Amino acid sequence: MANYIPPVQSKISQIIDVIVLLVLAVGALYVPLFLNLVGSAQTSNVPDNPTWEGLGQNPTMVEKWNELGYATAADAAELITARFDYSFSILNLLVMIVVVVGYYAIVLRFSGKEYREVISEKFGDK
Amino acid sequence: MSNTDITSAEMDGMGPKGTKLGLARVLGPAHIWGLGVGIVLVGEYMGWNFAVGKGGAYAALLACWFAGILYSCVAMIDSEVTSTVAAAGGQYTQAKHIVGPLMAFNVGLYLVFAYTMLEAANAITFGFLIDTVAGMTGHEGLDQRPFIILSIMFLAWLNYRGVLATLTFSLVITAFAFCAIIALFLSTAVFMSDSPLRHVELMTDLPYGWLGVLAAMHFGLWYYLGIEGTCQAAEEVRSPARALPFGTLAGIMTLLIAATLTWYVSVGLMPWEYLGQAGVPLFDAARLSGSMTLMVLLGVGTMFATLASANGCINDASRAWFAMGRDHYLPDWFGAVHPKFRTPYRSIIFLVPIALVFALGAPLDQVITFSILSGLLGYTFMPMNVILFRRKWPLDTIKRGYEHPFHPIPAIILLCLCGVTFFAVFLGYGSQLVAMLSFYIIVSLWFHFWRYRFVRRAAQFTMPWPRPRGY
Amino acid sequence: MDIWNVMEYTAWGLSIVFGLYIVIDWIKTDSTYSEEELMSSREGELEAMTEEQQL
Repeated sequence: MANYIPPVQSKISQIIDVIVLLVLAVGALYVPLFLNLVGSAQTSNVPDNPTWEGLGQNPTMVEKWNELGYATAADAAELITARFDYSFSILNLLVMIVVVVGYYAIVLRFSGKEYREVISEKFGDK
Repeated sequence: MSNTDITSAEMDGMGPKGTKLGLARVLGPAHIWGLGVGIVLVGEYMGWNFAVGKGGAYAALLACWFAGILYSCVAMIDSEVTSTVAAAGGQYTQAKHIVGPLMAFNVGLYLVFAYTMLEAANAITFGFLIDTVAGMTGHEGLDQRPFIILSIMFLAWLNYRGVLATLTFSLVITAFAFCAIIALFLSTAVFMSDSPLRHVELMTDLPYGWLGVLAAMHFGLWYYLGIEGTCQAAEEVRSPARALPFGTLAGIMTLLIAATLTWYVSVGLMPWEYLGQAGVPLFDAARLSGSMTLMVLLGVGTMFATLASANGCINDASRAWFAMGRDHYLPDWFGAVHPKFRTPYRSIIFLVPIALVFALGAPLDQVITFSILSGLLGYTFMPMNVILFRRKWPLDTIKRGYEHPFHPIPAIILLCLCGVTFFAVFLGYGSQLVAMLSFYIIVSLWFHFWRYRFVRRAAQFTMPWPRPRGY
Repeated sequence: MDIWNVMEYTAWGLSIVFGLYIVIDWIKTDSTYSEEELMSSREGELEAMTEEQQL
């Protein structure tokens, strides 16, 4: 098999390649932000007139809260009652599984094709 | 471009036949330990505690150990493959030889983005720390930007000047930060006559049940994220087949100890609701211990840990970028080595403005998530990598510096744990996950249909290995 | 103007010094040495020099 000779890439084209990569990377970082799909935030459910007992804190916990600079139950209530929402839809989960598996499938398939070429050029045809 | 060709008999660019310039081969196993642990240890000082917020104190411990198993598998698998593929680029070069060019390109990008984002996150934290110190001395409204920029510029300069000084610096400040954690544990748990630890009173049941344990895996990775970076130094250690497995495995043991101690001291001093949202948990722990010495020690430790991490990140990201340039996966301009300092100087320079843009412009949690996800994609690649490696080159075909035991059990465990972690990330950051995978899919198509035409085929396979089985 | 303001200016100044050092050395290096020499690093040198893999 004849060895593959790559074309020589012009300087401009090389610079464009780098810019394309960077634009895509920054895009992936900011697109979820623009679409307002920020990561899951905690929500607090602060009761009226919170007390340490009402928040389920024992004397040792109260002592530690005080040492940390939270003098009253009202100061710490927002931190104590903050919870994540872990509910999700099965459909979303399926979409994610398909995307992850599909991604690796594409990469492995194309890699395999390119790899055969590399091996047959390096070691000669069988 | 030089006229060397790896398939040529007179001028193959190897050893005496044609190479004038390569990376300096000066590092020992201790540097590898410093590089690996240095990148990660910052995770003990901040970030791991979000796992507590995700699922409670016990969930964080379980996540710590599950992630510990995940990373032990990563370290063993990596050690075996790297002890045979001793080249800058680490996992990228492994993928190129074992799986194929497109996978290698993806892995290279995981590495560069995981490390550059982590570097940015470290610089942001460094600025925040300086601001905190200024606030404690009564100065309000400090401009953090000059300190963020200074940390990146200084470390870039250090990296530019040579790898030995860079990693010796990492080694020293990492060792200090690690000793600070040990000192905190020993003084609170052992030496203080009236121990401030209150585990019995402070521990609660799992607030989210077992789902919280799964969710905690997302930040469980923080205890160890980046240990695989030791492979990047492969081309610069004096004896890769020995130093890499030794440094990496010693590193993972150090981290397992540090992670468990950190957890133990922190949950014994703080209610989990506070710990789960704390910015600098170990510093808080020192504050609660009531000892001024410990406070100063852990404060300095926190600062050193961020610097060591950013330092290792610059080192690793530039090696991966350099290796891809050298193979024409990226413009070959990046494949240059500084004639005096023997560093991949153009890659180091190129990544500085990018790190600055992320550090000054992007929100911290986005940056961290992008970094974790890139890391996770890389860990998912590793089991496939090692299974193919053993299949294409069984144990009796090439000599390995280290053989990992019980193959293929570590690979299967690693794959399962990666699946769990994908689910944990999905629980909080599903849209980011899909956005990132879309990025990698688009980039893969771009590489396969456009960029790969500039890559020489056989020349990228540089290891003196026999023909792989089945090809 | 307290100590922290001085620190801010010092940090700006040092950043510029480190940046300038890198850029000046970069330009100097690129103009002193030929591209061919700068890019003569090859992957896999190590294996070729130390040991032949045995079958």
